[in-house]
Amino acid sequence: MIQPGQAYNTVSVAIGYGREVAGKAAINVGQNAYPLIENLNGNLIFSGIVTGLSKTGEKRDIAQTQTHQTMMSRPIVQESILSEYVKSPSAGRYEPKINTTGGPKSPEEISIWNTNGLKTHTYNNHFWGLAIDLNSCTGCGACVISCQAENNIPVVGRKEVLNRREMHWIRIDRYYSSDALNPDDKSVAGLMDRERENPSENPQVVFQPVMCQHCNNAPCETVCPVLATTHSTEGLNQMTYNRCVGTRYCANNCPYKVRRFNWFSYYYNTDFQDINPSQSDLGRMVLNPDVTVRARGVIEKCSMCVQRIQSGKLAAKIERRRPVDGEIETACSQSCPGDALVFGDMNDPESRIFKLLNEENKERAYHLLEELNVKPSVSYLTKIRNA
Amino acid sequence: MSNSKHFIVGVFEDEDVVMHAIEELRGAGVKIHEVFSPYPIHGIDDVLGIKKSRLPKAAFMFGITGTACALIMMIWMLGFDWPMNIGGKNNIPLPDFIPITFEITVLFSAFGMVGTFLTASNLFPWSKPVIFDERVTDDKFVMAIDLSKNKNSKEELAQLLSLNGASEVNEKEI
Amino acid sequence: MHISSHVRPDLVKGGKTFHDVTQDISRHVESAPNKRWLMAFSISLLLLSYGLYNLYKTFWFGVGMWGLNKTVGWAWDITNFVWWVGIGHAGTLISAILLLFRQKWRTSINRSAEAMTIFAVLCAASFIFGHMGRPWLAYWPLPLPNAFGSLWVNFNSPLVWDVFAISTYLSVSLVFWYLGMVPDLATIRDRATNKISKIVYGTLAFGWTGGAKDWSRYEAVSLILAGLSTPLVLSVHTIVSMDFATSLVPGWHTTIFPPYFVAGAIFSGFAMVLTLMLVTRVVYKLEDYITLEHVETMNKIIILTGSIVGVAYITEFFIAWYSGVEYESYAFINRATGPYWWAYWSMMTCNVISPQLFWIRKLRRNIAATFVISIIVNIGMWFERFVIIVTSLHRDYLPSSWAMYAPTSVEIGYYIFSFGLFFTLFFLFAKFLPVVNMAEVKAILNSSQKHQQKAYFKSTDKAHV
Repeated sequence: MIQPGQAYNTVSVAIGYGREVAGKAAINVGQNAYPLIENLNGNLIFSGIVTGLSKTGEKRDIAQTQTHQTMMSRPIVQESILSEYVKSPSAGRYEPKINTTGGPKSPEEISIWNTNGLKTHTYNNHFWGLAIDLNSCTGCGACVISCQAENNIPVVGRKEVLNRREMHWIRIDRYYSSDALNPDDKSVAGLMDRERENPSENPQVVFQPVMCQHCNNAPCETVCPVLATTHSTEGLNQMTYNRCVGTRYCANNCPYKVRRFNWFSYYYNTDFQDINPSQSDLGRMVLNPDVTVRARGVIEKCSMCVQRIQSGKLAAKIERRRPVDGEIETACSQSCPGDALVFGDMNDPESRIFKLLNEENKERAYHLLEELNVKPSVSYLTKIRNA
Repeated sequence: MSNSKHFIVGVFEDEDVVMHAIEELRGAGVKIHEVFSPYPIHGIDDVLGIKKSRLPKAAFMFGITGTACALIMMIWMLGFDWPMNIGGKNNIPLPDFIPITFEITVLFSAFGMVGTFLTASNLFPWSKPVIFDERVTDDKFVMAIDLSKNKNSKEELAQLLSLNGASEVNEKEI
Repeated sequence: MHISSHVRPDLVKGGKTFHDVTQDISRHVESAPNKRWLMAFSISLLLLSYGLYNLYKTFWFGVGMWGLNKTVGWAWDITNFVWWVGIGHAGTLISAILLLFRQKWRTSINRSAEAMTIFAVLCAASFIFGHMGRPWLAYWPLPLPNAFGSLWVNFNSPLVWDVFAISTYLSVSLVFWYLGMVPDLATIRDRATNKISKIVYGTLAFGWTGGAKDWSRYEAVSLILAGLSTPLVLSVHTIVSMDFATSLVPGWHTTIFPPYFVAGAIFSGFAMVLTLMLVTRVVYKLEDYITLEHVETMNKIIILTGSIVGVAYITEFFIAWYSGVEYESYAFINRATGPYWWAYWSMMTCNVISPQLFWIRKLRRNIAATFVISIIVNIGMWFERFVIIVTSLHRDYLPSSWAMYAPTSVEIGYYIFSFGLFFTLFFLFAKFLPVVNMAEVKAILNSSQKHQQKAYFKSTDKAHV
């Protein structure tokens, strides 16, 4: 696989593979690259000149969860540089405006429902949300793994990943910059600029963790025929696994593509024996008993660790008090080493997320795909580079 | 005396001839039991004095019932019985209810009317047809006159029928 | 009596009498299955069995046996569903809308067209069951009282609208078709010599006798059913189109879909009616009933609906640019120049160019050309649904999710199942039920026909009462 930004005429091999004494996950996976490493007076040299390289004639597909590398000049990860940020905190922000007969309006101001300004559904108690600081995210993937462990997300194996069916509820999108002629050109000519599809020779990289945005005007909820997905009174998009009949309309309608379908039965299936541990009694000990294991044919997605929210609320209730900010953490926010994911109650003025979003409101804080007006509960903070 | 009825049956070859014959016979005061044809003859209702069917009105009534049932069902289910936050929408989103209301209206109207029709004409899988001449469903037009309902004798009726174009005149006991 | 000028071509050719009509249609029902039918039927059973094997794989192992993935959640399954439903609409149009417009030429094709509708809708329904992750719970989208606190259904969802629309459409079409057949079943009952036939057709004929009162009610019912079925045709495919139009996927979220889909449905439906009728009329020797005039008229409808579809394509493209919505514009650029460009251009050639060929009178009245073009149209309409569904889903808002899609043999096998089902049912219909509405055809044998008959009989010296 040719990585954008890799120097020409170089080959790189990852170390850590080819282990011979390890469990099912590592034995005979890949090749041991250590023999290529030179030991010079106790110093390990990880690079060198290749003297002989020949083709074996074999082909092997590399399983990737993302095959398109650029943002197509869309305002998905909004970023700026420090000098611009100092001038204006909303540097790099894209504020969508919709043309109406009353002039250009921001999407939240437009609705087909005439509610006379009254909110149909209000969140009087808690209003859970996430704020993701793109500045702090290094793309390490700890959130992905902790989510998988916490929520019993099945491992599907290389073959299914090649079929684009991985089950991760949170994913880290990685985009390379491109040499698009004029990134702000939204005309047909601009959109047809093929350069937008290709990463630069020496690209910049951004990472963006994406999980269910818990939209308050969720497009998925409207289209589920059996009400398997609804909105809670605390702002969460709920997923009722035992009601889902698996039409996948919700997954199609999700603009963020965060919903995952159980294409096969992963937990009780000889085809996935080697990959999924929960086929044996011992292996099943890996599962989190607080979270349902999903059957074949149902949709699943990030639940904002509702099991943790509920248990946190219950613990507080038993002590006859309200939950305090910091007591309830989602798996992803708990495990992020850079503190990029902040989870909390947006109705609680003492919570970190409230203060963060209040401070950054209309400045660094934005929603992904704001023009759709799905009103996500997840906010992103723009990335500010040094230069 | 058996329960059987006696009929004089005239068989015709042509729809115009049979229509004319109906006019003549009714003009002469004969009460015709029924006229059978292989296809519906236009204008025969007026000539025979059959009232316009009320099935269209029945269809309308069933349809209105359908509309009401559909709207009541949906408004009660989503508005009162178990209201939920679905995509932030109102609990009773009337525009969303339109397609189903329309479909249920059509369903009730169609099935109600067809059910009424089958009942009125006694058309059920177990119905036994009373057949005056088997060739009616092929290519003949048949006029059946109930002797007990007419004061004319069967010879008079037979003559009237032949004079007005009947190719055959038969007697039938049902 | 159908009075028409002798300058107009006859709707039924060959100087047919009422008895001829009865004979020509009933003899196919009454005779034993011949070699041709047996061969055709066995082939359709073969397709059905191969298809059933793929159905088993889908239901037993899961939807994972198909080529779908987390980005492209619908592909062949919903393409096929919409394709079959669209085809079904022509039957209702011919029975209902042409009845309201007093188009007497519909009488020789409406029975088969309606049968086609019912079988097509059944095929479409099979895809609904197949595409569900948990098909054994397929009854859950119905608002039935239950033990889950009586959890109801989501009336906002176009899929629930579909449930009501398709089931209404199937049942009303079934009733309309069956009621229309009752007088003809009586004909067959009255001609039956074999005891079993008499009992079977006697039961099916519901005791029909053909009395004037019954005909009067029958006519009223037909007219009202036609009046109800017409908005049904329009609404059902509108609702199907709203599966896409009410979503927010770029390329789906467009208000042109309802009329575009309805026109497309009639377009593909008429093409399928032509494909079926051109074969039936030859095999059953019904050229006097399904004449060149019928073929030409149907081809004119194909030009009309094909042109509407073509205009809709151009409008979509225009609006994608004019709206200024970059995601919508990109969706169309991707359709025409992206990885599925071959599907898009197949669709354009088959749907926009081929129907326009019927402006040429020679082609319009040519059976072979009509047959070929009717198949091309259906292929094009399949590609249209495929393009709409797959190209819009595979590249939507966030490029990180962009993925490709390819069908597996199980998906293709499922499609073959639907053909097997359709043709099995159609051949059963053709063998055991009258393929032409005898009563309605007798009603339109017109006055000039009578002169034709007299001339015919004079020339053959047959005695005629």
